[in-house]
Amino acid sequence: MTTTVCGRCKSSGAVTDFQGRQDGAVVWTILRCPTCNFSWRDSEPARAIDPAVRSADFAVDAGDLQRYPKILQQ
Amino acid sequence: MNDLPNRARSISSLRDFLELLEDSGQAITWSDPVMPEPGVRNIAVAASRDANGAPAIVFDNITGYPGKRLAVGVHGSWDNIALLLGRPKGTTIRELFFEIAGRWGDQEAQISYVPSAQAPVHECRLEQDINLYDILPVYRINEYDGGFYIGKASVASRDPLDPDNFGKQNVGIYRLQIQGPDSFTLMTIPAHDMGRQILAAEREKVPLKIAVMLGNHPGLAVFAATPIGYEESEYSYASAMMGAPIRLTKSGNGIDILADSEIVIEAELQLGERELEGPFGEFPGSYSGVRKAPIFKVTAVSHRRDPIFENIYIGRGWTEHDTLIGLHTSAPIYAQLRQSFPEVTAVNALYQHGLTGIISVKNRMAGFAKTVALRALSTPHGVMYLKNLIMVDADVDPFDLNQVMWALSTRTRADDIIVLPNMPAVPIDPSAVVPGKGHRLIIDATSYLPPDPVGEAHLVTPPTGDEIDALSKRIREMQLGALS
Ligand SMILES: [Zn+2]
Repeated sequence: MTTTVCGRCKSSGAVTDFQGRQDGAVVWTILRCPTCNFSWRDSEPARAIDPAVRSADFAVDAGDLQRYPKILQQ
Repeated sequence: MNDLPNRARSISSLRDFLELLEDSGQAITWSDPVMPEPGVRNIAVAASRDANGAPAIVFDNITGYPGKRLAVGVHGSWDNIALLLGRPKGTTIRELFFEIAGRWGDQEAQISYVPSAQAPVHECRLEQDINLYDILPVYRINEYDGGFYIGKASVASRDPLDPDNFGKQNVGIYRLQIQGPDSFTLMTIPAHDMGRQILAAEREKVPLKIAVMLGNHPGLAVFAATPIGYEESEYSYASAMMGAPIRLTKSGNGIDILADSEIVIEAELQLGERELEGPFGEFPGSYSGVRKAPIFKVTAVSHRRDPIFENIYIGRGWTEHDTLIGLHTSAPIYAQLRQSFPEVTAVNALYQHGLTGIISVKNRMAGFAKTVALRALSTPHGVMYLKNLIMVDADVDPFDLNQVMWALSTRTRADDIIVLPNMPAVPIDPSAVVPGKGHRLIIDATSYLPPDPVGEAHLVTPPTGDEIDALSKRIREMQLGALS
């Protein structure tokens, strides 16, 4: 299941960071969402990466990234 | 194996320790094919159920990472910790505690330098086209972590405002989230040395370079994880506590690193930049929130040939995190308390990095244990971490929870419970009223002394001491012998 839609914030446009190979064939791909920085491997169980079934408790609101606090402020 | 103390002192690397563990039946190699998720996590969690005896596990057949090796659970059981300290398997937690407490201030550091060209950690070097995913067999540690974490990194840095001062070099364990091929975020708080250095570098607009050491001398993670004085070197401290030499070399970016580590990642802080980090399943057994954290750019990677990536399972306990840091969380509190109060006889702060601690003390006078508890809250670790304190008499072993429960059952009056509201708290404590601020609880479960009314109870005194300890060991051995 290779998709470029982020399972966490549902943004599209994920980039490929690495592909794992076994005997020359690609067996999985690591993707990263440039909007919320979620990284995942497309071979992971659906409940961790598929926006349709992933727990909403761990969703990130791509429209409200200001809400997340910045650590270490002067 | 009569030579365990010498063998422990001769360890100079993760490889040496894995060999010792293997010889003792405390390390296994997992060569069946395993998917990074959820396979690695499942195996690590299953192993860590056995806090006393779990072996380290070396994976050498992770799907998609041919030829790469991953070690988990290196510090994942009391038996592994015992072997690191030169004691046999089966040594009790209480004995291990006194082994560490007895080393406090006892030994001189033995630090030597190896030229970079001869240091094993620099056998292979990458300075361009770096992709951390191509070097490290990473996996999602907990299901809802925000990415792939390096959970057992010892991060070395120099004070950005005093870069030539050896003592002000800092080595600490911080969690790192990989953010693309050659970047990572680092989570810290202003109270930690790294947080302080990041703030100083950004305030003065000076570079902050770090070296992330992976797969290290197993003593470093045990002894460098607890705050010591800012101007004390963690390397010197770890060497003294191990009673063994430590070999250092220079990283490519000029920082003192362990010469025999498996991998070192050299990186530079991106001044003023913050990136979304988290969540991460943390040691209280709950996920941290999503925050904007400082980001570092990787400038080079060195590693040994055929390196072993060492990582940790951390989450809801018991986990390797508890056995890794538990004793060395307890021992400094004990040593610091005894400077003021030699009546303190033991400290058990094994639980969630000391969120709960149990202290045994000889009551000098009525109510004295409460005074000791308040002193514990002002030790360096106590300031942020010691949330619940249970005070017991010296005739109660704080490492034996059955005895602690006996003291709570028979020696606690409800008005001996003190709540200190609105105190500082470690931000990831899920019970805090607001992150970073919470209440402290002291339960005085010690017995009464005049002028308190003491009642009429007279204690039963079952036999205790070395003879009984030896007998219980013998019973256990006879029982194990009957199995084999
Ligand atoms: Zn996203």
